[in-house]
Amino acid sequence: MLLLYAKGCRLLSKSFRNASLNGPPRRFLSTVHEDYDVVIVGGGPAGLALASALGSREELQNTLKIALVEAGDLSKVRDWSPPTDTFSNRVVSLTNASQAFLKDIGSWDHVEQQRTAPVEEMQVWDGISDARITFSTSELGFSTADHSGMARLTETLNLQRALLRHLKSIPTVQIIDQNKVQSIAVDEKPGSWPTVHLNTGRALKTRLLIGADGPNSPVRSFAKIPSYGWSYDTQAIVCTMEHPPKGSFLGPNTTAYQRFLPTGPIAFLPISATVSSLVWSTKPALSTALKVCDPSVLARMINAAFRLPDVSIRYLHDRILEAHEAGKPMTDEEINAEIIWREKSHSIDATSAYSSIAPDVSSKARVPPSDAEMVPPIVTSIQAGTIASFPLRYNHTETYIGEGSGSRTVLVGDAAHTIHPLAGQGLNLGLGDVECLARCITEAVLRGGDIGSYTVLLPYTQERYIENHKIMSACDKLHKIYSTSSGPLVQLRSVGLEVLNELDSIKVAIMMSAGSVSQTNDKHLSYNGDIRAMMFNIAAKGVENINTAAQVAQIIRGGLGGLAVNAIQNLAKATSSYQQPRKDVS
Amino acid sequence: MFPTRLLRSSTVNANEIAHFSRLSAEWWNERGEFTFLHKMNPVRMQFIREKLIETAYDEQPEEAVDAKKVEVLAGLDVLDVGCGGGLLSESLARLGARTTGIDASESNIAIAQHHASLDPRLGSNLTYKHAPAESLLLQSKRYDVVCSMEVLEHVDNPAMFLKTCAELLKPSGHLFLSTISRTPLSYFLTIFMAEKVLRQVSSGTHTYSKYIKPSELLEFFQSYSSHMPSSAEEQRARNDSRPWITRLYNGEPTRREAEIRGMIYNPLSASWILAPRGAWGAAECNYLFWIRKPDLDML
Repeated sequence: MLLLYAKGCRLLSKSFRNASLNGPPRRFLSTVHEDYDVVIVGGGPAGLALASALGSREELQNTLKIALVEAGDLSKVRDWSPPTDTFSNRVVSLTNASQAFLKDIGSWDHVEQQRTAPVEEMQVWDGISDARITFSTSELGFSTADHSGMARLTETLNLQRALLRHLKSIPTVQIIDQNKVQSIAVDEKPGSWPTVHLNTGRALKTRLLIGADGPNSPVRSFAKIPSYGWSYDTQAIVCTMEHPPKGSFLGPNTTAYQRFLPTGPIAFLPISATVSSLVWSTKPALSTALKVCDPSVLARMINAAFRLPDVSIRYLHDRILEAHEAGKPMTDEEINAEIIWREKSHSIDATSAYSSIAPDVSSKARVPPSDAEMVPPIVTSIQAGTIASFPLRYNHTETYIGEGSGSRTVLVGDAAHTIHPLAGQGLNLGLGDVECLARCITEAVLRGGDIGSYTVLLPYTQERYIENHKIMSACDKLHKIYSTSSGPLVQLRSVGLEVLNELDSIKVAIMMSAGSVSQTNDKHLSYNGDIRAMMFNIAAKGVENINTAAQVAQIIRGGLGGLAVNAIQNLAKATSSYQQPRKDVS
Repeated sequence: MFPTRLLRSSTVNANEIAHFSRLSAEWWNERGEFTFLHKMNPVRMQFIREKLIETAYDEQPEEAVDAKKVEVLAGLDVLDVGCGGGLLSESLARLGARTTGIDASESNIAIAQHHASLDPRLGSNLTYKHAPAESLLLQSKRYDVVCSMEVLEHVDNPAMFLKTCAELLKPSGHLFLSTISRTPLSYFLTIFMAEKVLRQVSSGTHTYSKYIKPSELLEFFQSYSSHMPSSAEEQRARNDSRPWITRLYNGEPTRREAEIRGMIYNPLSASWILAPRGAWGAAECNYLFWIRKPDLDML
């Protein structure tokens, strides 16, 4: 018997010969370890949401011992209490599916509702041709009665704080913050559990190790999960913008604006009546130059970026870069003079919404210009200390679950995938992962499964990988199409043909991930459950699009004639002529 | 470990045991030889769980049943006959059962014990024994639940094997079986495709003639009455008169006596699903079988 047993083990151990990770086996000070069922590494929104989801499941309450490890000090987030009119620069857009999930696990009640804002309409347009699509809550089939919108914007900190407050009421989840993961190791004994060693000397041995530890995930490197991707040569500038409230003749500040400039998309995301958040993806050099200038220069450049034709924006960018290289950053007066001059040369009327000259805020009864809804409100100032930038990357791991010596590991959120922020889907994908993983774990526990096993985790990777890939590649494709500034693609784009297709695919990407709003509490929450219904909608729209295409063809025929006369003037004209037919459809 | 006399008279097939002993090291490789079993395990557990909750609802007031409880098997003595590497036994123990896993292959038991020792949460409620089912009849211990998954098609004398499992149950105990039906479809899928074409399962794992149809199981239990060794003479006489399945309706047993559920493998998602009750043709290949030992009081 012993012989057979030993033989069996020898066979098994073959594949685990190189089981110790991070080089040769290390000696650790702590030999005593604590046993856990789940250790989550990373206290970002995804990690916290997963801890809340697992902790709030009635079924799992006495079954799973959960720990969440975070290097930073989470009490700072928990006690975060900013003044009501200042906002942090990192804002997330939560789709209805994400909100429904947060409600389901009981975390949504802890989100400070005053610091959230619905997105009831989106205006997306091309930087060169100004071809535009508009979509509103009602068009996506959501109820408009409760002003819940197609998504809700809030600060990442507001969400994180809510999750932490929720976790306070869940004793089964132990939060170990201000503890850095020093190393992760696994015994050579086949099938054994990984041990997370912390810099404070603690060692956590766990049945399932979850990497919610962001793009440079240590858990991912422990599990040796390969990841592929590329940098975009793009920096995203973020800041919190202040602007006058929309006039009494206009709706509330619930429209998100996004313009696809050849250097990258610029997005205006409303968070309160007078405050909105910026996400501007642009060339790293420009981002560096802008950050050095006075914040008012950035404010003016934001206004211009939503209003001026691409030629002028490119000119302004060049001016800023030149001045930066000469060591004399542009001043507020200089940039203002430049913008006014460009506006005049494009014959933009000072009373038009396309003019960057701030309207008189005091006279509220003023009738707004007819095109006031086409562009975001004029940014008057930027909240101190909110200007920041970060590089953009596309990254997707080959799988979400570790194998061999890295088994009993699973990745969620940014550790598994990083995405271009142009559709605001990064966190929503992460929350989709969390919902699915929590569901797989719950199901496995009810069936006596080993939640660290490959069999239990496989459905998670099967379900989420394709789901994430669809949205990630849609966003990547969009970025690439819009960041080319030469070749036939741009010619197509500039006459609106490509735009019609591609803007529609943003719409589909958003629709796919938007999820259902008609969630009854008992209904099994599903991120892809309503896609079928959505697809029928899209198919029905296809019929409509034939009609649109005919209309667009007419416009282009007219437009091409005009282009020969005066290209710039024509683009301005095209703005109004494209909008009309598109509005009919949307 | 057990008398040779018993070995000879048992249902254990020496060739089968040699076959599985050779494969024993593979038991816990979730992507190897036994990947189908690993994926089938949640479905078997789902069936056991649902069936126990269903009978609880039948017998207890609604508010006394907690369908969300993880440990639905808490306090029950559960026997896993032919436990192999312990795939099912570990799951049973996690649901709170005092689990005993037995297997006729010594190396299987060694692997099962080793694997259970890796999980600190699998405590004292999981024990393994190298023994054929028949040897347990010598002891007085009887079980609330007896499971024997994917074993029936490997034993020599299925009637004797079923009898042994039945006798190891306490009155009103549950017997769970899973096996393969003897149909052209099952030959095609489990032998021709799985063993010969795709080679996902070692050749020689299955023997077509040993497969058992659901109707044959029903037939067996229609004529099978419990033999209560320790009960009174009168009791025995009454008991003997009541077979485990009293009657069939359109070939189906009543819900409270027995149940047959098909298990269907979906090659696209690489997962098994539990077919709905009475799904046509679902039990043509792999199926689950549940039967309840009659309760003495109910007779």
